[in-house]
Amino acid sequence: MVKVESTLCSQEIVEKKTDLSEAARIHYLTPENTEFALTEGKLLSVRVDGELYPVVYLHCSFPHSNKRMFISVRTSENQEVGMVKSLDEFPVDIVRLLDEQIHMRYFAPIITKVINIHEEFGYSYWEAETTAGHLQFTVRRGGGNVKMVSSVKVLITDLDGNRFLIEDVNQLSEKEYRMVEMSL
Amino acid sequence: MNLNYELSEQDQLAARLAVGERIHYCVPADLSLEGKRTLGYFVVGKEKWAYIQNGELIESCRIADACDYNVVPLIGNAILEATQDHTKRLIVRISMQHVARFAYIAQILNYMAEGSKIRIYNNETEMVCPRCGGGLLPGTRLCPKCMNKAAVLKRLLDVSKSHWKKLSLGLFILFLTLVVALTGPYFQKLLVNSSLQPQPGESPSLSLFFLAIFGMLFGLAAGELLNVAKGRVMATVSSTIAADLRKLVYDKIQSLSLGFLTSQRAGDLMNRIMADTGRIQHLIQEIFTTAIYQFIMLVSVTFLLLNTDWKLALIVLVPAPLVAYLQITIWRRVLNRLFRKQWQVNDKANSYLHDVLSGIRVVKMFGKESREIKRFRQYNSEYAAAAVHAEKIYSILAPVSTYLLQLGTYFVLLVGCHMILKGTLNLGELVQFTGYASMIFGPLAWLMNMPRWIANAVIAIDRVFSVIDEEPEILDTKHSVKHSIHGNVQFCGVTFGYKSYEPVLKNLNFEIKPGEMIGLVGHSGSGKSTLINLVSRFYDVNEGEILIDGMDIRKIQQEDLRSQIGVVLQETLLFSGSIIENIRYSKPEATMEEVIQAAKIANAHDFIIQLPDGYDTKLEENGNNLSGGERQRITIARAVLHNPRILILDEATASLDIDTESVIQEALQRIMKSRTTIAIAHRLSTLRNADRLLVLEKGKIAEIGTHRELMQRKGIYYNLTMAQRNIG
Repeated sequence: MVKVESTLCSQEIVEKKTDLSEAARIHYLTPENTEFALTEGKLLSVRVDGELYPVVYLHCSFPHSNKRMFISVRTSENQEVGMVKSLDEFPVDIVRLLDEQIHMRYFAPIITKVINIHEEFGYSYWEAETTAGHLQFTVRRGGGNVKMVSSVKVLITDLDGNRFLIEDVNQLSEKEYRMVEMSL
Repeated sequence: MNLNYELSEQDQLAARLAVGERIHYCVPADLSLEGKRTLGYFVVGKEKWAYIQNGELIESCRIADACDYNVVPLIGNAILEATQDHTKRLIVRISMQHVARFAYIAQILNYMAEGSKIRIYNNETEMVCPRCGGGLLPGTRLCPKCMNKAAVLKRLLDVSKSHWKKLSLGLFILFLTLVVALTGPYFQKLLVNSSLQPQPGESPSLSLFFLAIFGMLFGLAAGELLNVAKGRVMATVSSTIAADLRKLVYDKIQSLSLGFLTSQRAGDLMNRIMADTGRIQHLIQEIFTTAIYQFIMLVSVTFLLLNTDWKLALIVLVPAPLVAYLQITIWRRVLNRLFRKQWQVNDKANSYLHDVLSGIRVVKMFGKESREIKRFRQYNSEYAAAAVHAEKIYSILAPVSTYLLQLGTYFVLLVGCHMILKGTLNLGELVQFTGYASMIFGPLAWLMNMPRWIANAVIAIDRVFSVIDEEPEILDTKHSVKHSIHGNVQFCGVTFGYKSYEPVLKNLNFEIKPGEMIGLVGHSGSGKSTLINLVSRFYDVNEGEILIDGMDIRKIQQEDLRSQIGVVLQETLLFSGSIIENIRYSKPEATMEEVIQAAKIANAHDFIIQLPDGYDTKLEENGNNLSGGERQRITIARAVLHNPRILILDEATASLDIDTESVIQEALQRIMKSRTTIAIAHRLSTLRNADRLLVLEKGKIAEIGTHRELMQRKGIYYNLTMAQRNIG
């Protein structure tokens, strides 16, 4: 089998026609065959090769390592319309629109400052400044509710299922790091 | 569930202007489209809905202008959608906290849009703390505001109460040990002052010399004997208390619902039962053998030192707070982190090892041995580096603090000798003083480590109690009864979702007659396994009811219900033990003959009898010394031994080859006679004997009928059958 060469680097994607790509038959959406638009109801619609899909949702293949690559465009029935290989292939205004939709789907406020975390009875109580405002939330210990999703990124899921991100643990202050580390 | 929040006066005014005088429902819609948390409310009036934010109307619309109101859960948030003018539109965005609430609101809006009667089962109660009125943690009776560490220790005390006699005995021995230990320096002083260096004008006394020597010897011997007695008593008490706790946790885990248990890692629960209770046992032992002893020792020795000579006493005690400060700071700032890091790396390496060793076949198959060796080497050196780092600092800290503490003794000798020369102190008193002084270092050093082990123990206690406090979701009530099942199963308007806002089964209505075999067919994720989970009552329905012989399943005692249901799953779970023990699991009192009968019915007898150890064959972990088909036949024997009235087969033969499947199918045919059977199978030929087939599609019944009827209808079942035939 021919080796597949593809990287997650957004600038350059090296991809050859391989046995694998032939078999997978991924339908890539490109600016040439696709027209994205925002509906009056503030949702995303797409026209692919002349066919209109009135509402579609964007699912990232790599929501933590790279949100801008390999984005699956799906209907509400979970059927894949096609895949956007890289957002950068599209014009700026469309990128902005798709970016907004991705942020709508993958909502995880970024924690900018950890104010306090205390643990008791199998739960940790967090107080933090986030990009969504000042928040307090409770996290159940164990079960991977606080986990490293990359070498520096921490994903926190609270009791209700809300998600929060620490973009880079190394950027935390000594005191913040000590508190977060206890929950990891 | 609260669907009618109170609005501020300003919001109320805006809401009334938008939807009319009467507000029927009002729930928080707390997320703006830009992703900011807001204090917005979604308000439903008689004919209109409105979205209000800080006293301002953001949007409002007539309810009947749209249809298909629906909550779409996204990742970490959700949106309320509806169809208006044949296109979907977004109405509001919400955080996950209010998704369940909005699922109800969407239903209500749909009823209102259709103009039909609102019919919702709002039985999700929001638990509140009886003391402060605040919300409780989901699934527990814990109020985050009303918990404290003292309360934790008190609960431990409550568990220990039943062992108070032995605990008191332990305490009594502890006091005796203390008194004996404190006599040591007194006899030393007596020895010096009476015989070694008597006071001027006094002659050495031989009788006092022997008394002092005997006193010291007695102190040593009695002290050791008492220590042995104390250790034995406390080991017994702490082990029994820990055993009580283990029992409490284990009993609770068994009674908890499947939903909670599947959300927890087995290893984590095992730790709570074994490691955490072990830590608590250690805590009790430590408190009653060392903690109280060291504390009283500290107080009494300090008193004796101050009483003997307060100036010398201060010299001894001055370095102590300094050392304590040094220790605590280094522990908090450096060592704590380093040790935690070391444990984390250790945990990672352990789970990596567990993964790789249990999946060694895959490693070999892909020829990735060298990659795995490299990865392990990396974990191993990471762990070694972390350990060396932590130990390096610890190895410096320990001698430095001991040295600093003992520095006091040198100063005592210095000042003491000077006082003897001045004649203000005699040698005996100095010996007694240094004796007491050396006794104080133990308690001081121990006291410095106390915060650390108390913190560790409290963590263990709250981990254990967090399981004990967990509430099972499925409960028997006082009105639950035993019921001998005939086999009629009826689903009446059943709607169920593992999360109430994401229904997996929607408004199911059907009846299975006693002795009938029903085949469940549908794509993956269509709700087949969920349906059989409901029949076994692993979960309670959100809406509607399931009736067995006309009786609501929630009124039948769980144990009684499940003892009359036999389940055979695709994955064969066997326990370590002999074959007979495994078959007997469903009916421990079964006779050997009954076991053989069950094995015969399951077509298992012939292969078991050929094994060198027959029914006494010990099974390895999960029966790995048997083939897949053999293991499955044992699970079938286990399922039929207790003669269940309802039989559930969830892909029971999916992973087997055709020959083995036909042997097992034949066995199942024999078992299914006169029993209500619900069978799931992807391989549709497996269901050829079903009386009726029920086709599920996205949680709804799409088709129901016999094989012939469904083939004639040429619907989903027909397509599935034809697709499989084509593959075949």
